[in-house]
Amino acid sequence: MKIIIDNIECEAQKDETLLQIARRNDIHIPTLCHNDALPGLGSCRLCVVEIVDKGRRSVVASCIYPVRNEIEVYTCSDKIKNIRRNLLMLLRGRVPNDETIKKLCKEYLVPDRIKFSGDKDEHCILCGLCVKACQELGASAISTVNRGITKKVTTPYDEPSAQCIGCGSCAYVCPTDAIKIEEKDGIRNIWNKEFQLLRCTRCGKPFATKEQLEYNREKLGEAHVKLLCESCKKAIIAEKLKDIYEKV
Amino acid sequence: MRTLFEKYPKEKRYTLSILQDLQKQYGYIPKDKLIELSQYMGIPLSRLYSMATFYKALSLKPKGKYIIKVCDGTACHIRSSKTILDEIENTLGIKPGETTDDGKFSLETVNCLGSCAIAPVMVINNKYYGKLTSSMVREILKEYGGADDE
Ligand code: SF4
Ligand code: FES
Repeated sequence: MKIIIDNIECEAQKDETLLQIARRNDIHIPTLCHNDALPGLGSCRLCVVEIVDKGRRSVVASCIYPVRNEIEVYTCSDKIKNIRRNLLMLLRGRVPNDETIKKLCKEYLVPDRIKFSGDKDEHCILCGLCVKACQELGASAISTVNRGITKKVTTPYDEPSAQCIGCGSCAYVCPTDAIKIEEKDGIRNIWNKEFQLLRCTRCGKPFATKEQLEYNREKLGEAHVKLLCESCKKAIIAEKLKDIYEKV
Repeated sequence: MRTLFEKYPKEKRYTLSILQDLQKQYGYIPKDKLIELSQYMGIPLSRLYSMATFYKALSLKPKGKYIIKVCDGTACHIRSSKTILDEIENTLGIKPGETTDDGKFSLETVNCLGSCAIAPVMVINNKYYGKLTSSMVREILKEYGGADDE
C-alpha cells in the first residue's frame, strides 16, 4: 500500500502507525508522549496531522493512527501548526520553565504573552509515559494520583515504594526530565528511595541496582544475569564477532 | 476482614465495588486494607491508590461521624453557598475536604444535590437542610454538638 505524506510517496503496511511510516521516511513529526518501545499512549496530541481519506479531511494523532487506506497526510499544514501552538501554550502554562516545552514553543512560534502560569519548578506534563514504562519495564510502582488540578505522578502515599526496583526507566522515558534521579557514591536515589548500585565487572562503572538484577532474575528467568553494563555488553559482543570473522 | 474481599471473585472488574465496600465499612480506606486488596487481587498497589484518589466517593483519610455536604452547584453558588461554607469554617474550623480533630465533622462540597429550589442546601448524613442562612447553620451545627464552646 502507498500513502502520501507531505507530497512524498511512502510505502506502508496495513496497521502501521502514521508516525512509524513518517519516521522511516525522515519526515519529522514532533512527539512528547511517544516512545518506540512503549507505543499507544496518545495522550499529548502534539503529533497530530491532517489526513484526507476518500476526500474527507480529519485531524488524527499520528502515533496511534493505524493506516488502513491509501490516504494523503499533511504533517505541517496551517491548521496543524495552530493546534500544536495551542497545545504548547497550555503546556507552557503548566510547566513554565521547562526547556523541552520552551524549545517547542520557539519552534512553533507560540506568542510570548502568558495567560496563566503554573509552578515554576514543575516539569511534569502528565503524559503518562513514565507510568507506562514502569508497568512494562519496572514494577508498577508509580501511577497517576488524584485528578483535575491536583493530579500528579507519584508512588502510593508519596512514600518510598516497596515495589520500586530503582531501574530508572521512568526517568529515562520522560520527555521533560521531570523525574529526579540522583547518583552519588554508588547510591541511586529515585522516588525517595535509595538503591545500592552494582558495579560492572568489566569496567567498574556503577550501572544497575541489586533490586533490578534480582527482578530480572526472577521475572524474566535470566538465570545468570552477568554484572555487565550496556557498553561492556556491546563491547564483548563486538569482540566475539571480531573473533569469528578473523577465524573465517 | 478477608471475607469482605472473598465475596468477590478475583477479577479486576470488581475492584471498585470492593473499594466502595471498604469505604462503607470503615468510613475510609485504611492503608493496610488497600495493601491486602492488592495482594488478594494481584493488582499493583499503585493502581489501587490511583483509583482510590480518583473517585470523590472514596477517601484515604478517616471521615468524621457527621459528613456535611455543602452544595456549590450553580443555583446554590448564586444563592451564596460561600457564606454557608464560611460559617461552617468559622464554627468548626474546617475547610472543604477536612475533618475536625475530634473526628466529629467532615466538610465537603458537592456540585448539585438536585434541590436547587431550596438553595442554598447542605446535607448532614443524608438529612437535607434548605434555604439556609448563616444563623440557621450555626443552630443546626449546635444540634449536632458542634461549636458548643461559644
Ligand atoms: S525506577 Fe521505580 S518507579 Fe521508575 S520505572 Fe523503575 S521501578 Fe518504576
Ligand atoms: S506523541 Fe502522539 S499523542 Fe503524544
